[in-house]
Amino acid sequence: MEPTQLESKQHLTTRRGFIAAFGFGGVALYGAWAAYGASPLPFTHASGGHAAHGTAPAKAPAGHSGHGADPLMTPDEFLRRHEAFLARFRTPDGRVVVPAAAAPEDAHADHGAPQPHATHGTPTPPPAQSHAEHAPQPADGEPLDIYLHAFRFGFTPDEMHLRAGQPYRFRMLASDVSHGASLQLGHASRIVRLRANVVSEQTITFHRPGRVLVYCTVFCGPAHDAMSGRIVVA
Amino acid sequence: MSTTSTTMTSPRAPQTPLSRFATLQTADRLLCGVLIALSLFALALGIAYGVAMALVRSGLLAPAPDTGYRVLTLHGTTAFFYWLYTAQAATVLLLAAAEKKGALALRGLAWAGTALIAAGFVLSELAAIAGPPLLYEANPELGTDDPRTVAGMTGGYLLLAAGFALIALSSIATVLATRRQADGGLSALGFGLLAWAGFLIVSAVAAVNAFLPGLLWASGFGAFPHAATTDWHILFHNLHYLPLMATVLVWYALAQDLTGISPATGTAFSKIVFASYLVFVPPTSLYHMFLEPGLPESVRVAGSLLSLFVSVPTLIAFLIVVASLEIHTRAGGEGGMRARLRRLPWDNPAMANMGVAILTMLIGLAFAFVLIQEKLAPLLSDTMFVPGYFHFFAVGTVTQSFIAMLAMAVPAVSGRPLWRPRLLCVMPWIVLAGLLLFGAGGLGAGLMGVPRRVVDIGYGGEAPAIWRPFMAMVGIGGVLFASALAVSVFGVLRSLVPGRRGLAAAAEPHVAAARSAAAPAAAAWTGPLAVVLLVAAMYGATIGAFELMQSLPVTAAGGGAH
Repeated sequence: MEPTQLESKQHLTTRRGFIAAFGFGGVALYGAWAAYGASPLPFTHASGGHAAHGTAPAKAPAGHSGHGADPLMTPDEFLRRHEAFLARFRTPDGRVVVPAAAAPEDAHADHGAPQPHATHGTPTPPPAQSHAEHAPQPADGEPLDIYLHAFRFGFTPDEMHLRAGQPYRFRMLASDVSHGASLQLGHASRIVRLRANVVSEQTITFHRPGRVLVYCTVFCGPAHDAMSGRIVVA
Repeated sequence: MSTTSTTMTSPRAPQTPLSRFATLQTADRLLCGVLIALSLFALALGIAYGVAMALVRSGLLAPAPDTGYRVLTLHGTTAFFYWLYTAQAATVLLLAAAEKKGALALRGLAWAGTALIAAGFVLSELAAIAGPPLLYEANPELGTDDPRTVAGMTGGYLLLAAGFALIALSSIATVLATRRQADGGLSALGFGLLAWAGFLIVSAVAAVNAFLPGLLWASGFGAFPHAATTDWHILFHNLHYLPLMATVLVWYALAQDLTGISPATGTAFSKIVFASYLVFVPPTSLYHMFLEPGLPESVRVAGSLLSLFVSVPTLIAFLIVVASLEIHTRAGGEGGMRARLRRLPWDNPAMANMGVAILTMLIGLAFAFVLIQEKLAPLLSDTMFVPGYFHFFAVGTVTQSFIAMLAMAVPAVSGRPLWRPRLLCVMPWIVLAGLLLFGAGGLGAGLMGVPRRVVDIGYGGEAPAIWRPFMAMVGIGGVLFASALAVSVFGVLRSLVPGRRGLAAAAEPHVAAARSAAAPAAAAWTGPLAVVLLVAAMYGATIGAFELMQSLPVTAAGGGAH
């Protein structure tokens, strides 16, 4: 026998339907996602007005994937292009300086114009006007290719000089074990995870000059702490 | 308002699930006692490693990097695998025995399982101590230069999995024997135990899937396990939610024993809720992989949407338990919420631990839901945000719930009164204070990008200076909650040493106070109100994360991979 039996009509708050309904309370968070244009279902369109003003949803796409049309790049091909990239832009003191208007010699030979949000219809925001005004743009408006090689326990290049307002297509490879290639951006970071022998890419535009710490956020061995580099945004 | 009549029973009658521990047979008490001791030993070790880690992360200790990562490996291995799984094995066995009110079925199998867990524990610890740090997932990528360490850690985990699977089988057989004895079929708790034990066996299969390829490779019998990361994620999700299911079952049992009230929603509804874990949990695993390169956008979106449902069974169980507690307090007389709260048996360590466990679950959920949104993953995954929120679950909710259960069961198992119950009633609140400090530091540090698995976060002076104060909060909070938890562990372990007092005398103080009057019709608004507040907190945390992401001086697109 149970210790206590509730036998007659119950209060609303102890009825099964009421309790079950409140159990789905977490689903209500969908509203917040929709408000920020971070959900693909119909309510997302309600945020379109915000996008037009370049506010909340505009920068929400960070993390989107939109490279479904890209062909495969093998690690060997990455390393070949990486060497060519270093040979072209490395300065005598070891830094890599990528001029804003310079197009890498293999630029976009196998890529169409990036459409990072084609899969979900959220437009890619333009850089903030104040930055874009001062940033040199490549003639065709396409991102410049950057090749970042992560390995135990460092990055090459470990110091890059880039320009604010210029979109860069970061192609990244962890050639031994999994690594991170995260960007510390002052009051927060953008975390990037790389898996061994998988070429990853992200198109990144820095909007403000400054120094950006590039650091490994996936444990990779004893000297994991020391695995860092920097990007100087001019 | 409608009226409700209630049927009360004497609190001295051993009819609630936990009070039935007093009827355990001597051989079963010995087995359960060994399992409890083993689990608490693992917890004590895990706490010690955790304190060391907290001191390292706060900068107060500066070991060689290898040592730091070895301690991190040992902390995760010991606390996350051996404490949580062994505690589950002990709890499911105890509750199954309590359901049956007789001898455990397949006791030999359960003993074999216990021996396997102990052997696995020794093997994993030795491998983690002697070899290069692989972290608790025993990552074979990091062990290519020393496959013996991979073999030791994965071998240990496989022994652990075999061990808790055998104990789960014994529990299932015991509960099914109960069904044969009872006229009316299984109780809700018995049904929940079956689901839980079944889920444990599924978890063991997932562990084999995750670790056997690594063991075969390390032993020279197989190819390198390139799919180890994916296989780990499958197990990892299981590792997350199985203890949470165990927790709500413990709450379900404790609420009955502490208040004498059976759930207002009835047995059938409770069974549906327990079974729903099997429906809601497996499809919601994708959010762990949002940062994986090459994961298609459609999968990320589907993962986010499905993850919205991950809390459904836990929240429903929470509402049932809180409703039961509220009905109990309302039956005690008039008064506001404060007066009603005072009527709960806070002088019982089980109630104090369960109360704090419920609070920390709500806090943890508010922040956990930030991470189920794929577009926020690049802001927070792999940062201190993750340990910042999951310790609310792993320590505050799950560990304290198991401590609560053991505080009730151990005196019955050992025949000895609980050690210093007044002191043990205070400890959960100190744990809560420590967790709040740890969580505030960890969540803040994570939002600013502090990586979760880096011993020295200085980066040659290039890291933001603000990282340090947040990590100091992590260290202080971690030491505080670990110290209080260690006292609770000591108290339960001390009480496990067999005493000379009789079983009934030991168990008696923990049973709910007698109530003879019929309870009036009872509303239970506390649970729904808590859910409303939880959703508001989820909104706050999620909006804050979106705003932070949008403030970054960078626009990024793509997580694609070739």
